[in-house]
Formats: sequence, C-alpha cells, structure tokens
Amino acid sequence: MKIKLELFGVCREFSEQDYLDFNFESDIKIKDLRKEVEGFVNKNFPENKNFLEMVKKSAFSSQANEIVDDDFKLDKNQTISIIPPIGGG
Amino acid sequence: MFHCEVIDNSKEKITIEKAQKFIESQKCGASLYFLGTVRDHNNDKTVTGITYDAHDALVKKSFKEIYEDAINKLKLEHPAAFVEHAKGYVPLGGISVIIAVACKHRAQVYEFSRFIIEEIKKKTPIWKKEHYQGEETTWLEGKPIDIKKA
Repeated sequence: MKIKLELFGVCREFSEQDYLDFNFESDIKIKDLRKEVEGFVNKNFPENKNFLEMVKKSAFSSQANEIVDDDFKLDKNQTISIIPPIGGG
Repeated sequence: MFHCEVIDNSKEKITIEKAQKFIESQKCGASLYFLGTVRDHNNDKTVTGITYDAHDALVKKSFKEIYEDAINKLKLEHPAAFVEHAKGYVPLGGISVIIAVACKHRAQVYEFSRFIIEEIKKKTPIWKKEHYQGEETTWLEGKPIDIKKA
C-alpha cells in the first residue's frame, strides 16, 4: 500500500518535493504513519529535534479533507496531509 | 452571505474593494473591515516579509465552519462575511488576511469580526515562514490543532 504524505508548514523542510512517499505491507493506522515519519526525520535530520517535535505535535488530514485521529485506518493507496502546529492570520 | 478564498499572492492581491462590493447591503446598518498585514519586526528581528503556506481545502472548510459557528453563537442578524487569506510571499506592509463583516447593528460587527480572526488563529491550517534581513528565514512556532474540536 502506498501512502503519499503531503507536506505543509515546517514539514515542507523534510523534502524538496511537496510530499513524501511511504510503502506499507499491510493496513495501518495514522499512529503507524506518524511513527514512519518520525523514523524518516530521525534518519535524515538526526540533529534537528524541532522537526521530530513538530511531527509528534502534528495532526493528519484524510483524502476527504477530514482531520483524523491516531486510530484512523488506512487500508488502500491514498494521499494524507500532515498538519503541523498552525499559526495563520 | 459568505465568501471565502485562499489568494495566491503571486497571481492576485487581496483588496478591500472586492470585500466592500460583497458585503454591502441595505439591510445592514454596520460594516467592519479587519486587515492583517505584515509588520517589520518580531522576536527582536527585522522582518522583511512572510511566506504563508495553506492547505487550501481545509482552510476553506475551516472558514465556512467558523462563519456558521459565529452565526449560531452570536445570534447575528442579516450577517455577511468576506474572508480571504493570502498564501505565498507577502512583503512588508502587504495584506495577509481580510475579514469584512456586515450586520444589522454595530455591536454585532465587532463581535463577529473578532470571533472570526480568533477562531482562524486556533483552527485554520495556515503557516508562516518569516523572512529577515540577511536572507535568514524561520517557520514560526504554531499551536497544534485540537483534533477533538476539528
């Protein structure tokens, strides 16, 4: 299963593209995706503790543009957005 | 009556005139325009501009929910609101957000406008990257979205 993770805010610094791709062998939940992103950050930005903190504090949005909790199930290829702490206006 | 949009600042600009045209109504005795603009300092640094990032679909959904919440909570009479937020680079003094509201009476427009901007700060997925003198940039620390309220 392929999950395309759209990046916003500070998370855009994770890649020169606007997204990250993740592959999973079976169905997962948002909390599993969060762990994968944390692993990506630990591997690629080991010195940047702020990035890791931002992932821990982030929400996620489904393909239907709903903010979903950590138990939201992902069982097919789809696009998910990471929503780091917000601060517009 | 409600209008909201995310405006790509590289293609067009937020203008008061467009907002004025939308909210004007003979049923309303009061209207109010709030503009958020880029200021020249923050955290003891000289700011030269801000790049705004936005999840467009979620932003528009959030604006609509905030408008509906305002109508329900504030018991507004003949409400109209025009909300636009910029995305992309906005230079010093540029408009980042406009909230134009109209209602039957003056007290309501102050409440209405304040409610919308405070809720945007808490609920709307928009992010700021400040640009400083010397080409340094920083993503501003925001507040996590409250998933239970989202």
